[in-house]
Amino acid sequence: MREKKTVKRHLGLRATNAISNSVIHVLLVIISIIWLIPFVCIVLQSFRLELSGPVGYVIPKQWGFDNYAALLRTDFKQWYINTFIIALVNAALQTVIVLCMSYTLSRFRFKMRGALMRLMMILGLFPGMLTMIILYRVLKDLGLTEANAVPGLILVYVASSGMGYYVSKGFFDTIPKSLDEAARVDGATRMQVLFKIILPLAKPIVIYTILTAFMAPWGDYVFARYISFENPVGMNVAVGMYKWLTLDQINSNYTMFCAGGVIVAIPVTILFLCLQRYYVEGVTGGAVKG
Amino acid sequence: MASVKLTKVKKIYDKNVVAVHDFDLEIKDKEFVVFVGPSGCGKSTTLRMIAGLEEISDGTIEIDGEVVNDLQPKDRNIAMVFQNYALYPHMTVYENIAFSLRLQKVPEDEIYARVTRAAEILGITDYLMRKPRALSGGQRQRVAIGRAMVRDSKVFLMDEPLSNLDAKLRNQMRAEIILLRQKLDTTFVYVTHDQTEAMTLGDRIVIMKDGYIQQVGTPTEVFEMPKNLFVAGFIGAPQMNFIETELMLENGTYYVKPFGVKLPVSGEKGAALKEKQAKTGHITLGVRPEHITLTQAGANAIPCTLEVNEMMGSELHLHVYTEDGTRLVVRVPTISLDAETRKGLVAGAKVYITFEGKVMHFFDPESTENLLN
Amino acid sequence: MKQYSDLEYLQLSKWKKFCYRILCFFRSIPTALKNFVFGIGRFFKNAALAVVREFKDIFFTFKDGDVHTKISYAVMGWGNLARGQILRGLLFLLFEAVFIFYMVVSGGYWLSMLPSLGKVGPGKIYDPIYDVYVYQYNDNSFKILLYGVLTIFFIIAFIYTWRLNVKQNKIAEDIIKSGKPLKSGRDDLRSLVDDKFHKTLLALPLTGILIFTVLPIVFMILVAFTNYDGSHDGFINGLFGWQGFENFRTLFSWKGANGHSYAATFGEILTWTLIWAVFATFTNYFLGMFVAMMINKKGVRVKKLWRTILVMTIAIPQFISLLYVSKMFAKNGIVNGVLLDLGWIKQAIDFWGSTANNGLLARVLVIVINIWIGIPYLMLIATGILMNIPADLYESAKIDGASGWKQYTKITLPYMLFITGPYLLTQFTSNMNNFNVIFLLTGGAPTNASASWASGNVGYTDLLITWLFKITTGEDAKYYLASVVGIMVFVVVALITLIVYNRLPSVKNEEDFQ
Repeated sequence: MREKKTVKRHLGLRATNAISNSVIHVLLVIISIIWLIPFVCIVLQSFRLELSGPVGYVIPKQWGFDNYAALLRTDFKQWYINTFIIALVNAALQTVIVLCMSYTLSRFRFKMRGALMRLMMILGLFPGMLTMIILYRVLKDLGLTEANAVPGLILVYVASSGMGYYVSKGFFDTIPKSLDEAARVDGATRMQVLFKIILPLAKPIVIYTILTAFMAPWGDYVFARYISFENPVGMNVAVGMYKWLTLDQINSNYTMFCAGGVIVAIPVTILFLCLQRYYVEGVTGGAVKG
Repeated sequence: MASVKLTKVKKIYDKNVVAVHDFDLEIKDKEFVVFVGPSGCGKSTTLRMIAGLEEISDGTIEIDGEVVNDLQPKDRNIAMVFQNYALYPHMTVYENIAFSLRLQKVPEDEIYARVTRAAEILGITDYLMRKPRALSGGQRQRVAIGRAMVRDSKVFLMDEPLSNLDAKLRNQMRAEIILLRQKLDTTFVYVTHDQTEAMTLGDRIVIMKDGYIQQVGTPTEVFEMPKNLFVAGFIGAPQMNFIETELMLENGTYYVKPFGVKLPVSGEKGAALKEKQAKTGHITLGVRPEHITLTQAGANAIPCTLEVNEMMGSELHLHVYTEDGTRLVVRVPTISLDAETRKGLVAGAKVYITFEGKVMHFFDPESTENLLN
Repeated sequence: MKQYSDLEYLQLSKWKKFCYRILCFFRSIPTALKNFVFGIGRFFKNAALAVVREFKDIFFTFKDGDVHTKISYAVMGWGNLARGQILRGLLFLLFEAVFIFYMVVSGGYWLSMLPSLGKVGPGKIYDPIYDVYVYQYNDNSFKILLYGVLTIFFIIAFIYTWRLNVKQNKIAEDIIKSGKPLKSGRDDLRSLVDDKFHKTLLALPLTGILIFTVLPIVFMILVAFTNYDGSHDGFINGLFGWQGFENFRTLFSWKGANGHSYAATFGEILTWTLIWAVFATFTNYFLGMFVAMMINKKGVRVKKLWRTILVMTIAIPQFISLLYVSKMFAKNGIVNGVLLDLGWIKQAIDFWGSTANNGLLARVLVIVINIWIGIPYLMLIATGILMNIPADLYESAKIDGASGWKQYTKITLPYMLFITGPYLLTQFTSNMNNFNVIFLLTGGAPTNASASWASGNVGYTDLLITWLFKITTGEDAKYYLASVVGIMVFVVVALITLIVYNRLPSVKNEEDFQ
């Protein structure tokens, strides 16, 4: 009698587990669909030929690559190259700056360290938007706006990137300090410690920093708009393509926007998926360390 | 192969926390000195100041007669073994050991010769191409020692090198360090919190507490003549028993009266007290557990009740309490008791203990100093 | 209020415990503020003492110093040169030369114009030869303010360097007196890759931050005290000048011109900004955690696939996804199209245009779409933390008889909150300043008719940050007002940070969950 009861209870447990698991699977499928729908729609509509404005249905009636071909006749190529150059240079320089900053704040104990970190926290609370006006005028004086917006934007992105040191500092903090000390006792200068010991161990965070620095310029709109100042030669993809969705252009350029979006998203997404592991490591590590 | 001299060395952290107070010590060439003390006593800080990993707030440190206060660790020509080994995870064992030589731009064939020789001594030749994470704790420890060994450094510093190992491995490595020392024949400074390591390894022991040196001496000295209550309690396991009692002088003989039992202080201790003309009155009496003997009821016997009987194999640790509730520990060799007596030693049993004058230590309860200093 | 001891507190009922803790929180605010104010007071006192000490030191160094040291007070680096530290000496000397040159050539001018921000504005001059009026541009308020601030920075740097020069002279003199050798230029260079390596590493990043972050922020704070706007742009349309606290008075006056009140508009936008920040932060947080827990549950298959699908959406630049989603919900967009096709609605819903209930529909929608944006990040973070929760915590809870829900509220949630406390705080403040989501989705729409007079066509979904952006664009770009709003944003964010940060459990008791 007793034995039967336990068996029954056991089955019950397994059954509830199975039910809850299938519910979860259904939920996950729904979630995946919701998350993917917009992207599926973009791709599908980029092949739509019959109408170039927004429509109320998803599947195109006429298919073709005309929208992609049309892209080539616009300034899109210029914007794409601009953004790509910005992203590439930004990834290189910003990584150097962020690593300098975070390594120093993680490893050195100097007099102004606390004050410096507090100051940067306070600076970070100011809305960055405000500084745009002056940066625009300064860059204008330097001749780095409009057609020359690319170096101007790079300068702005890179110059203040030292403020974003938190995540990689959190990573450096997890590398035991005794490694530095052992190397210094072994006869290494501080610089040799950085290059021979710390950097080889910091590969995940270096890749994370490169990846985020490479991805950020693709999405920046406000600064890029300010600095390119309506000049198509200096625009990045976000600023250039934004215009296609304004009221007067949306009906003729909507499908072209979709095609452009696909062209922009594909390389970034592929790169991202390849390096996903490092990104996940950086995000989770950074949040845990605060 | 050098002497180390610390003169009034001080370490003050910000917010005026003093970690090390006026540390004075001269370490002779080829001497093995052990810093020992509870955690937070400043022993590691002192070692790290010698290594150059901590700034010196005040005083001077000399290595081989040269003041090294402002020298970077790399310019001090020292070798150090860290508590957590600090092996470079991305390098093989060979590269780990060769790292310092490569920084010195030693030719590769000489590096090869020196690394393999060190590996042979330490018995890690088979692991040279492995990464540290593929090694066991003991092997990592050997690599760490090997890394320090290959350099012809003036001083060999070790910061709690055995505390991450399990008990069995620790005993084994301790013996190996003694052998290593004979081979290397250099100056050693060794930090530990374990008094057994300190006693077995050191030529001299420096006992520290709260940033102050408590006593410097050979293992025998600190064991037989602890300078104060702290040292007496720290060195020796199980800990020395402390009894609050009176010191009396009658007819030229000193007596103590623990728990109402009058015991004469005979032998050299009595003579020493006389020579010092020790003041009678309240004292703290110290007796090591191994110096207390079980006895029969009698004039010199202190009656106690047995609380716990720990059987350690070769010896028994008897935890007893006296009539006024003071707890004492008695350590008796198992072999000295017959089976009958051993059977009787159960919780609640009545036992009688006593000890002789020559094993007593006398401390001033106020200053905690040894009366015979 | 009665203070309970620990044992008394334990005997209180659940409800009373809760009330007691809330009371304690409010009671602690005055003390916290007091401590804060006293802290500032102490800071200034210490700073004053430090200044006095510096002056004393400078004086005595001069009095006791040798002739080289004394000359160094006027000619920087003289002492170093005389004592053989050529490199340092030359650097000091060069810096002094550059400084003097700059001050004579332009710095003096900028500094002298700073109090007025320009005297002669743009004007027309009659040209008798061609018989026309020629526009002539004179002083430039913008440049005066900018270079004035820069000059002040430079002067501070000079004073610091001068002080350093004096200090180094004293040190060098003392070393020579004690008979030891001085550090050579080569030693200095070598120390830059060793014990002074941090200076080398920080030089570039900090210069960038100083010029591209600190300088603009100081500049913009100062703009709040001027009348800089589209018609007083400082050069072409007219000079701008100092206004004192006038702009703050404008923002905080309940009765403005034509009965319009900036204070009311500001309050309205601030309220929505806070509501938005709370919802955006916490919906993402809990739903992200929920999704992560679903994916991590034992027995769920193809975990990697679910994760990759979500993570992929992070890679796609936000301007594409947000703009596209925004158009999906447009009146003629796909969502309306599909709903009409299915016959679920009779006529298209104006998601972004409906002003009913203060634009409730649009407000809810931006929060929902923000969930779509934010969950992948939170899912990643939560996954990382969930995997780090020691399994024995759950095992012991199971043995103690805790149900799944109890395990969640007693272990998972407290653990997550403990670890992510600082992250939540930064999420909250960055959501307050979340320009991208609002601007790309709605651009602030639907328009708030009652506030449309305020600069920049305020809408119901406008945050302070997008309002600020709107103020600076357009014809009458009121930069001064944007500055004031920006400063207020800073004050609000800083206050929240200050109050919350020190109460975070992970800051207060670091050991609890370690």
